[in-house]
Amino acid sequence: MDHSIYTSLQTGILLLLASALITPLLAGKRKWAGSLNFLATLAAAVVFTGIAVKVLGGSAAPATFDLHVDLVWGSLAIPLMIDGFSAVFMVLISSVAAVTAFYCIDYMEMDHYRHYSLRSFFFCYPVFIAGMIALVTVDDLTTGFTIAWQMMTIASFFLIRFDYRDEVIVRSANKYLILMELAWAAVLAAGLMLPGCTWGTPLHQIAEHLGMADAGLRTLVLTLTLLGFGMKAGMFPLGQLWLPDAHSVAPSPISALLSGVMLKTGIYGMIRTLFWMMPDTLPAQEVQYWGLVVAIIGVVTLFIGTSQSLKQVDAKRLNAYSSIGQIGYIILAVGAARYYLGANAALHALALLAILGAFLHVLNHAIFKSLLFLCVGSVQFTTGTKDLDKLGGLFALMPVTAIIAGIAAIAVSGVPAFSGFTSKWAIVGSTLLSGKTAGIFVIFGVIALVTSAMTLATYVKLYGMTFTSVGVEWNDKNNVHEVSKVMLAPKLVLAAVCLVQGFFPWLFVALFGRVLATSEGVLTQTLGTPEVLASLSQNYAGVSFAAANGSPVAFSLPLVMIAMLVVALLAALWLRRAGGAEERTAPVWLCGYQTLNNANRYLSSHIFDAFKKFMKWTGGNVRGA
Amino acid sequence: MSQFTEIAIGIAQVFGNLLLFLVIAPFLDGVVRRVMARVQSRQGPPLAQSYYDVLKLLGKENIDSAGILPFRLAPLVAFASILCVIAILPVAGRATALTPYADAISLVYLLTLGGVAVLLGAFASKNIYALIGASREMTTMIMVEPILFMVLLLGVLKTGSLDLTAVIYGTPMAAFGVPGVVMIAVSLFGLQAFVARQPFDIAEAEQELLGGPFIEYSGPNYALFKYYMMLKQMFYAYLPIAMFVPLLGSGFYLVDLALQMVLTVVVFLLIGLLSATHPRYRIDQAIRYFGVLFVIALAAIGAAVIF
Repeated sequence: MDHSIYTSLQTGILLLLASALITPLLAGKRKWAGSLNFLATLAAAVVFTGIAVKVLGGSAAPATFDLHVDLVWGSLAIPLMIDGFSAVFMVLISSVAAVTAFYCIDYMEMDHYRHYSLRSFFFCYPVFIAGMIALVTVDDLTTGFTIAWQMMTIASFFLIRFDYRDEVIVRSANKYLILMELAWAAVLAAGLMLPGCTWGTPLHQIAEHLGMADAGLRTLVLTLTLLGFGMKAGMFPLGQLWLPDAHSVAPSPISALLSGVMLKTGIYGMIRTLFWMMPDTLPAQEVQYWGLVVAIIGVVTLFIGTSQSLKQVDAKRLNAYSSIGQIGYIILAVGAARYYLGANAALHALALLAILGAFLHVLNHAIFKSLLFLCVGSVQFTTGTKDLDKLGGLFALMPVTAIIAGIAAIAVSGVPAFSGFTSKWAIVGSTLLSGKTAGIFVIFGVIALVTSAMTLATYVKLYGMTFTSVGVEWNDKNNVHEVSKVMLAPKLVLAAVCLVQGFFPWLFVALFGRVLATSEGVLTQTLGTPEVLASLSQNYAGVSFAAANGSPVAFSLPLVMIAMLVVALLAALWLRRAGGAEERTAPVWLCGYQTLNNANRYLSSHIFDAFKKFMKWTGGNVRGA
Repeated sequence: MSQFTEIAIGIAQVFGNLLLFLVIAPFLDGVVRRVMARVQSRQGPPLAQSYYDVLKLLGKENIDSAGILPFRLAPLVAFASILCVIAILPVAGRATALTPYADAISLVYLLTLGGVAVLLGAFASKNIYALIGASREMTTMIMVEPILFMVLLLGVLKTGSLDLTAVIYGTPMAAFGVPGVVMIAVSLFGLQAFVARQPFDIAEAEQELLGGPFIEYSGPNYALFKYYMMLKQMFYAYLPIAMFVPLLGSGFYLVDLALQMVLTVVVFLLIGLLSATHPRYRIDQAIRYFGVLFVIALAAIGAAVIF
């Protein structure tokens, strides 16, 4: 049996841990330490990508492996499992971490951080990454889970409270720690509660025991697990308790990691719970009931999260709330997929579309949300503020960041041909096409669409009030300029990935096909069949979804759309020039005001005033806005 | 019919659609202006006035007050997005060559792209009035787009497909039942908001916001925005006709098309009449109005799902 992937996994983790020990020694030389940290995470990313390539290129799910660690007082057994599904998460986590580490080199030079030692930062960063990687590879809810979860949680706690002289930040970080420990306790309790399950019981055995347990205990175990992972993912109402506070106070690259990849470990846990931990012997109705509950939570999360995000005036809080909203889409899709996997075989194809939507949105959101946090970080780096009421007019001053932020903002809004579009299309399409067979999901689809209009509003505001419009010239005395190349490069990389995700969704659909082929469990058994897979076809132009009779009923073809838009743009350009009009620049007409200044400008907190009042009941209101 | 002829007809259809909308939209705008004037006991401009406006603006000086790319890009994107919408629209029951490449969800997102472009231009223009207008425009969009989508959704539910031809023409009138009747009422009550006319011209609001999002635009840029608004107006007026008025089924494309166009003109007469007789709502009143409309539409969808 080939265990080489598990050896590589240990190598990767050890690399990160070694970096955690060595890099802090160099912390006095800030840039050197940053570079070393980057090199270590990059090396680890290469190792993990190698594992993923091997796993995804295989013909079936690799065997599981029990890692025995000999300690002074005895041996510790940790069941590990790397299948296609964990492989994708590993690549995602490690590569975003490497890109962000590069960004850290210069970002940690920010004026505000000058008097902070970077020792703890460079200790915690690799440990945090190692913890996340471990979390998506351990196969139990007890021993291995505890080690991975604690590495991730405690390291990220110290990263969040990096700016420890600010009381608000420390309080937010403390809250984060307490809630994450509660989540840990919930999952751990679930893992130990079942008769026959002890420390180190792998997931498939838990599933067997769960099938034999009575209904009450079963429900309790599943509820606790979903609550634990849901807390991490940012599920309503648990996400609101910690997520906006923690994400908005951490240094921006850390926020990017928290929002871009750490939340996804919660999603990972939810998917494992719903599709791997649920025994096949469970009555079909009970399974569908779980799917429905999760979908309802998802729809509430996406609606509430996004409408709260719309109200924010702090750029990072806005992004954080919006993360809750986007995670809601994923939770909705996961719940819908679970529901559709019931007895009715006609819905199985829709389950495929829904889980594909979840999978794509996990990947897309990781990239564009990291990108948005890095852009806001750059703005904060150069202007010293993230308050949208004070920003404005940065397009002319930092054009590269502005264009990159524009790409990320249209991606998150789901504008056709950009990366959020295909994933939202798959999620909304899978809910709408269920029609009468699963009526309530149609309503969920409508709510999801309303919400994407709100997402659009949110990001129009963020972008408009940061990069276009006016304002920064009155509020910032410093010389505002574009950030250094070291900070631009990682953003350019992520922006390129974001564009590829948008224009070539078929690549990621093909990847998803490999994930199904190299994983076990109900998803592969039901959806991996040729009949179901046939409903989803992909080609160079995009993805289309066919009904049972073979005719396509929904399609997302970004390349065609972008071609159409380009031709139309050229036509519009021709029309603009057709009259031979002359061009001239002139100052803004201020309708009687002598000068434009801070007293007579329209602030971010004024925008959507009537709508914000209308949505007051959704919470997350900002005082004075 | 050979495959080649089919493709050729499909492509001709794309250009036919564009030509139809580009030529007729300013005329329909003229109809509204004339009707409004007559109701207010004025003579009113000639029916061709909107053509003159666009042509004249195309030759006027193009003043750039922002000096950044988004300001110059916005009118182009707005105009391009509405051209794409028209190109994929199956007019009079016939799919164009591009219809098979976009479904109902794509259509709605393309429509929002136009709105985004307007907002982008407004935000870029550094003018406080433009920002107020943009804020109102976006608020209206959040509330109105879903209502439009729910009108289309009725077709999705009946045919089980998101393909545009199926969504718009796939259901006979009678099969819509009560939810269909409710949706017709909803589209009528939402009509003025879809076409951004009084009482819902809150974003432009000439008397208070001096054109809102477009205040800093002049010359060809403004012409593009104006043309965009007219095309969008025609699209929104045409859609309920296409959706709910059955095709004659005469077998003649041109007869079907002519009927649809006559009905669209009737809709525009209605738009003019409503615009002339209704004072503008405040934005908070409008939100409540849309909220009620939204709930009714959602109830109709719920009924369509259950029964």
